[in-house]
Amino acid sequence: MRGWSWGWRLLAQRSRRRGRYTTVSIPVSLYERISRLIEGTGFTSVSQFVTYVLREVVSEMEEEKLRSEAVSEEEKAAIIERLRRLGYL
Amino acid sequence: MPRRLFFLGLDSLPPRVLYEGLDGGAFQYLRGLVGEGARWVMRTCHPPITVPAWMVMFTGKTPGELGVYGFRHRRPGEFGYYIVNSGYIKAPTIWDEASGRGLRVGVYGVPPTYPPRPLHGFMVTDFTTPGPEKPYTFPPWLRRELEASTGPTIFDIVYRSEDKDRVARDLLRMLDNHLRQVEYLATRKKWDAFFYVEISVDRAHHAFWRYFDPKHPRYEEHPRYSRVIPEVYRRIDEWLERLHPRLPKDTILVVASDHGIKAMKGAFTVNQWLAEQGYLKLRVDPSSLKPGTDLGEDMVDWQGTIAWAWGGYYSRVFVNLKGREKHGVVEPRYYEETLEQLRRDLESIRGPRGEEWANKAYRPSELYPEVNGDPPDLMLYLDDLNWRPAGTLGWPTNYLEENDRGPDDAVHDWHGVYAVYDPEGTLERGDRGVMPIESIKAHLEQLIFSKEEG
Repeated sequence: MRGWSWGWRLLAQRSRRRGRYTTVSIPVSLYERISRLIEGTGFTSVSQFVTYVLREVVSEMEEEKLRSEAVSEEEKAAIIERLRRLGYL
Repeated sequence: MPRRLFFLGLDSLPPRVLYEGLDGGAFQYLRGLVGEGARWVMRTCHPPITVPAWMVMFTGKTPGELGVYGFRHRRPGEFGYYIVNSGYIKAPTIWDEASGRGLRVGVYGVPPTYPPRPLHGFMVTDFTTPGPEKPYTFPPWLRRELEASTGPTIFDIVYRSEDKDRVARDLLRMLDNHLRQVEYLATRKKWDAFFYVEISVDRAHHAFWRYFDPKHPRYEEHPRYSRVIPEVYRRIDEWLERLHPRLPKDTILVVASDHGIKAMKGAFTVNQWLAEQGYLKLRVDPSSLKPGTDLGEDMVDWQGTIAWAWGGYYSRVFVNLKGREKHGVVEPRYYEETLEQLRRDLESIRGPRGEEWANKAYRPSELYPEVNGDPPDLMLYLDDLNWRPAGTLGWPTNYLEENDRGPDDAVHDWHGVYAVYDPEGTLERGDRGVMPIESIKAHLEQLIFSKEEG
């Protein structure tokens, strides 16, 4: 019955996490630099700005990761041909 | 404070060039630094190949521990192979560890670092990158910045070509591209340790060694081709002379290679030999094949085959073991006996005039403290690497004067270089003996981290 209780716990955890926030520490000097940077902009808090920037950065990194993992059969064949011509195979 | 360190990796540079002056007078600045620094002869790993050698240097792990025995590997029971990339390197590199200590690191061109992985600093991947359209930098947006400032990145050239003038042009263009990019990164970005490997040196050696090394059995003085290798050296040397004063004053400079290089005497057709000896049974008449035909799975009569091999800079030999291979015939209880017989026969292969060769066939467990991944049954070096094993078929003889994969003048050698120049003079200068490649990481760490407490 371990599976049942484990499954319920996971579901409960997930629903608790939804819409929730956590705290990340950044150096005070960086916090102050960001505060100065967003003065007079549409960003109303450092947290809002940091979340925005991190989302952008992480999305780009995730996208790049997917692109580097997706190797087509033609690309594979091209890599093998190149290594062969370089004498490694 | 940790010491700042700039690492210049010159792929396949042998001690003869850097320490003994076989450089056509080109490495003037570098030789001056090396003369004032500590010098080791670097002893490379088994196998002496770019992949895995650089990663052995930067992780401190043997190829067996890394489970990387070359570019390609074969899963038990399969005939085909897979190609390794950065994802197969599971041990932490020196830049992973420096990142973890909060140091900023730069990595450029170290094989295999594609696909790039996050680090505290920046990375541009190596010649195994499929193409410039792929994500090849960390952080990802560095690519746009780099291309805007220094032009499109060139990862490699095709050097096995008869058109040597084109090879020379492509080679120098690639080298200039790399030098420009590294100069940009080294002078515009913040870093504590910068690791740069230049592959052009290896490509120049393979394409032009016989026009350069008077000891090459087919040495030829040529008005243009004999000048290509010194030109590659000269461009690196002048670039370093310009860059060095622009690096922070106390930066430690390291020059190293992953293996050496020497003249290729010829290629030996290892699968043809296995077939002649009765180890490999073919369904086809080998004399009917076009020279250079790859051994295909359907060309083999597996019921009558005991072993087959791959060519390359060394040969990997596989036993057709029952229970492991799809059509295995060698009973596990005869595995040891078969392997030892095969080893004896391989080691007794002689040269084209019946001369003795210094052949060595190793079992991976004899070479490494741990054997991970997909190792071959035997790792074979012919005549101390002087002869390159060729895996292809259809040749009228087993002894080829040229490489089976196109023109090539050089094979790898066991000894490379490792030299450290410390402007603060904390190291004992001069010749310091032999440094095994897997000990370099610890040495570099000592250089970078040991002053942290100070």
